[in-house]
Amino acid sequence: MSERFPAVPAPAAELLPPRPRRRFRADRIAGRLVPYGLVVPAAAVICAVLGYPLYLLGKLSLEKYDLEQVLTRKGVWVGAANYTKVLGDSEFWHVVGRTLIFTTVNVSLTMVLGTLIALLLAALGRFMRLLLTTGLVLVWAMPVVVSVNIWLWMVDYEFGVANWTLSHLGLGSFRHHDWFVNPWSGWGVITAVVVWGALPFVAITIYAGLTQVPEELVEAAAIDGAGGWRVFRDITFPILKPIFIILTSLSIIWDFQVFNQVWLMRDQRPTSDYYLMSVYSFVESFKISHYGLGSAIALIMVATMLVVSFVYVRQMVKLGEVR
Amino acid sequence: MKARYIAAGCLAAALAVIASTASAQRVGEPRTGATKLRIWLQTDAQANWPKVVAAANAAVERKHPGVEVSVEYQTWGNHLTKFDAALAGGTAPDVIEMGNTETTKYMAAHVFQPLKAKKYPNSRTWLRGLRDSCRFKGKLYCVPYYAGARAVIYRKDLYKKAKIKHKPKSLKEFTAAGKKLMKKYGGDADFSALYFPGKYWYASMSFVYDYGGRIAVLKHGKWRGTLGKPKAVRALKKLKSVVRSLSRASRTTDEATPQQALVFAKGKVGSFIGNGWEWPYALDPKVGNPGLAGKIGAYPMPSHIKGRYMPTFLGGSDLAIPAPSRHKPLAAEWIRAFTSTKSERKLAKVGKVIPNTTKLANINRSNPQLAPFAKAAKYSWFVPTSPNWVNVESANVLQNMLVTIFTGRSSVKQAAKHASSQITQILNAG
Repeated sequence: MSERFPAVPAPAAELLPPRPRRRFRADRIAGRLVPYGLVVPAAAVICAVLGYPLYLLGKLSLEKYDLEQVLTRKGVWVGAANYTKVLGDSEFWHVVGRTLIFTTVNVSLTMVLGTLIALLLAALGRFMRLLLTTGLVLVWAMPVVVSVNIWLWMVDYEFGVANWTLSHLGLGSFRHHDWFVNPWSGWGVITAVVVWGALPFVAITIYAGLTQVPEELVEAAAIDGAGGWRVFRDITFPILKPIFIILTSLSIIWDFQVFNQVWLMRDQRPTSDYYLMSVYSFVESFKISHYGLGSAIALIMVATMLVVSFVYVRQMVKLGEVR
Repeated sequence: MKARYIAAGCLAAALAVIASTASAQRVGEPRTGATKLRIWLQTDAQANWPKVVAAANAAVERKHPGVEVSVEYQTWGNHLTKFDAALAGGTAPDVIEMGNTETTKYMAAHVFQPLKAKKYPNSRTWLRGLRDSCRFKGKLYCVPYYAGARAVIYRKDLYKKAKIKHKPKSLKEFTAAGKKLMKKYGGDADFSALYFPGKYWYASMSFVYDYGGRIAVLKHGKWRGTLGKPKAVRALKKLKSVVRSLSRASRTTDEATPQQALVFAKGKVGSFIGNGWEWPYALDPKVGNPGLAGKIGAYPMPSHIKGRYMPTFLGGSDLAIPAPSRHKPLAAEWIRAFTSTKSERKLAKVGKVIPNTTKLANINRSNPQLAPFAKAAKYSWFVPTSPNWVNVESANVLQNMLVTIFTGRSSVKQAAKHASSQITQILNAG
């Protein structure tokens, strides 16, 4: 036994558990508060940039705010009248139905095609993979307004390249074929444009996830006689499940809010067949000057998306806990 | 220690610079002492008569040194949205050009400053169609700027080759002439004897008014859509048969997308219903076909009653001063300079439009290029003068109805009745 460290008598050791007061020392409190302190600046900015407009939107949805009110800059309080009007309007429910169907179709197509492209990327040789990735990134980088205008020219009634190509391929006469007369055909074109723009992000993200699937598992399954589909279903998909859930949630949120493609493909004057909730809200507000009604519709959209983003956030939190 | 002083010094210097610039200039104010007069005109002025605008600006700047006139050009598609946003944000211009179908809504909301007619040039001889679009409940809220009427613009050489001897004097003759053209040239799938896009409501409603129908009537203070009534339905059925037999244009686009004058310039169109400015536009060296010069003519669209013309939509623009403007006297002066007799005369000559006063009507009468449009303006129709009319336009009610009719998605009567009830609802709303 060393003289420098006097031995602590055994019974005295039981007195060693720290007294309660030690837990509330100043630097321990400070330690707990540091994370919040680091988050506060970013949260403040987000509150200012997103929260204040959201608050104004809510306030506007409870007011009557037509052109006269724009001039005097004061709304007239009407309580929930805007909401009862919107929810009682059959046109609104048609638009909601159309938006839900549109979102479902787009998200499904984006996820399925994105996964297929990601699997293709994984299976390609280096040069082709580079080519395909470059193509995807170029699509991703193109501004929406520019790309939609070019799509519009391609399906033009008189001078469009789509009609010309289809006629020359011998699929019948597509001369003067108007793609937007029939809403089903028109929505098909708009869906193609939206999915085309959404694929790069999904494909590249899933491809990144695929590189994390352990090769040994896949090889072992192949040795046991599993085909491509079984490998995907039983190995790849379960491992990538968190990524799929996140991508699907994000896609739902984005496709639910689609506005640009619809607005531009219909030349900024869509007929009521082509209204989605975002378009309907915009027309009510900025074309017919019923800003209160338009705000109510927009807020209903926000509430719907909050529910979906709850799933996304939960998944992110779960991921954090597993690591 | 030293680093701290240097950093503090730099910070102080930076703050001083920011503070000095902030106090010297506020957003929207030009150099100290100068007043900025903001004018919003449409791109038509920029493209067709920029010198007239420059002359008016120079006149005001000469008389008031220290005033800077700044003209911003807007497009028809979104200028109202921008105007609403500017009103909400307190940055409304001092003068704004409004389409004559858009004014009623804004006048009813007290957006414009009431004006005294006698202070503006030629107010006694203003075109009635334009003056009425500036009047609300007995007060004047804007100044007429210019008008446009539509007539049939046609290829003289194609008419000759198809042996159409003289200009049609009735709708029956017009349809017969069109069928002759289709017989001779209709083998080309792109050829139209009359290029008539589906959403062209200005020309479509002319048929309705020609047969005695109307878009809506005001009865006991309430508006009622009347497109479902027998006269209007008869007119729409006639329109459908004319368009179906003579036009190969798209049923779902309007006359501006693509610009019908430019489609005409491509050479596969026998005639189209257009404004005066569309004739020189078809000959534009950059986007049109100058080779057609001398082969183009115009005549007023004939009515189904022989010897009369089909009523044409009297389109046009007015100039208004928004109530929040801080330079109202200057704005009024600019409008006076821009709508003076001299300015309007130049406008009519260069822009090929109808000036705002009957005093200058003879300019157009003697010019063979403008006379048909001035003649056509004799019979005109206008939209229901309700503050909610512009909402009918924004909701695309008439365009939807026409697309449904021309594509055959529903019967003429059904489509007309549906549109009629929509119009009733929108006009009476609020």
